[in-house]
Amino acid sequence: MTTATVILVLLVVVALAFDFTNGFHDTANAMATSIATGALKPKTAVLLSGVLNLVGAFLSVEVALTVTNAVVEIQNGDGTPVAGLTGDGGTALLVIVLAGLAGAIVWNLFTWLLSLPSSSTHALFGGLLGATVAGLGWGGVNWAGDGQKIDGLLPKVIVPALASPVIAILVAGLATWLVYRVTAGVAARFTDSGFRWGQIGSASLVSLAHGTNDAQKTMGVITLGLIATGHWTDTENIPFWVKAACALAIALGTYLGGWRIIRTLGKGLVEIAPPQGLSAESSSAAVILVSSHLGLPLSTTHVTTGSVLGTGLGRPGATVRWRVAGRMAVAWVITIPAAAVVGALLWGLAHLLGGGLVGAVVVVAVLAAAAGAMYRRSRTAPVHADNVNDDWHDGSSADAPSRTAVSA
Amino acid sequence: MSHVWELEAAALGQIALAAVVLGAGLPALFALGIRASAWGRGGGAEAAAGGDHPPHPLGRVLSTAVFALVVLVALLGVGFIVASGYGKAVSFEDVYPTVVDK
Repeated sequence: MTTATVILVLLVVVALAFDFTNGFHDTANAMATSIATGALKPKTAVLLSGVLNLVGAFLSVEVALTVTNAVVEIQNGDGTPVAGLTGDGGTALLVIVLAGLAGAIVWNLFTWLLSLPSSSTHALFGGLLGATVAGLGWGGVNWAGDGQKIDGLLPKVIVPALASPVIAILVAGLATWLVYRVTAGVAARFTDSGFRWGQIGSASLVSLAHGTNDAQKTMGVITLGLIATGHWTDTENIPFWVKAACALAIALGTYLGGWRIIRTLGKGLVEIAPPQGLSAESSSAAVILVSSHLGLPLSTTHVTTGSVLGTGLGRPGATVRWRVAGRMAVAWVITIPAAAVVGALLWGLAHLLGGGLVGAVVVVAVLAAAAGAMYRRSRTAPVHADNVNDDWHDGSSADAPSRTAVSA
Repeated sequence: MSHVWELEAAALGQIALAAVVLGAGLPALFALGIRASAWGRGGGAEAAAGGDHPPHPLGRVLSTAVFALVVLVALLGVGFIVASGYGKAVSFEDVYPTVVDK
């Protein structure tokens, strides 16, 4: 096995690990509201969401080979790596992507530890951005495309990120207001069971859409590595094993359930009643599907969080915890720069160690150590299926469940 | 304003408009179905009507029709996800939806 092949194996493993964190970070997007209102039992909800993510990931046969092109210039328009990065068996490109993925995972785990929903796509783009800037300089950044279509960091990532919560708040707020208007006077015990069914349906739609949207990003990154090392040449298709592995990784991650984030989104931000849950998930499903249909896919996380906030604003008298909302907003703003800094530092570390196999191995070792440390930290105040719906106390920190937790 | 920002503004505007129609319209429709169903069920289901009124068959018919419509639109959503995965799109050119190449 050549050096490049060994690094490629590391890259595949790290990419699948990212896909896994992408899954459990985003379970909350689809299922937090259904879990909070009791429409679904916590374990049932994550199982349903996991299965739908698996199905969705297999449905995404559209080639996602140019995923990195949105922010950096390490690929040509057809998905092949740019010349200059393919020397030495593609090692230069592999190390950039590896450091970028590692940066994304570190940020995903850190925000999970803090119980904050943050966009995995932003983490991935941030990590790649940092590693590319460190490796190729600022010239490697695709700021705004060629000006002829919506492409590049600003038009395709930053501006939609600012716009999506606004749209979601608007839609979910209006939906909630309408739903309460229409059902005013109908007995709650009667409406709630009906709305719970609607919640399950709309949340399922969000899960399916998530599988098709998110898993393909990792598929594209792995295939890029395969092309760079000469293990794959077809730019129209991706290998079946890549698709299967990514689908499984995101589904397993979803099934594991990011309980800390589910708790924040379901209980922390707004106290959700079934009609609000239906409004929030319908709004999310509509915004996500419409935006990817119109070629400007919006972040599932930003949309669902905005929807939950909107559903709190649309119901007169609902509790909205602005402190929690503020923490989320901060996490959103710093996701790209923070993941970029970690990605850049890791690339620098690999570069110091020769930029080859040793560097790649050390990057993976640092990543594993950081992940282990954060996991151990999370055990001091675990959140799991049995305490995810406990009452939210504003005085306590957002990530500490109110009662003494038993380990999952 | 350069070309790309005009495109961006147009895309975001379209997204907002379509999302309001679907994302707020469907829950409102669903709520209407629940209201009709409560009317159809009678008794104490609809508290505003004095807590006790006879079941009305029209309520059942209405609620079934409304729920069927909501399910239909949701299925269209699934159809859309599946179609786009295979490089196809759902078209409404013939009024009823058909799957066409993108």
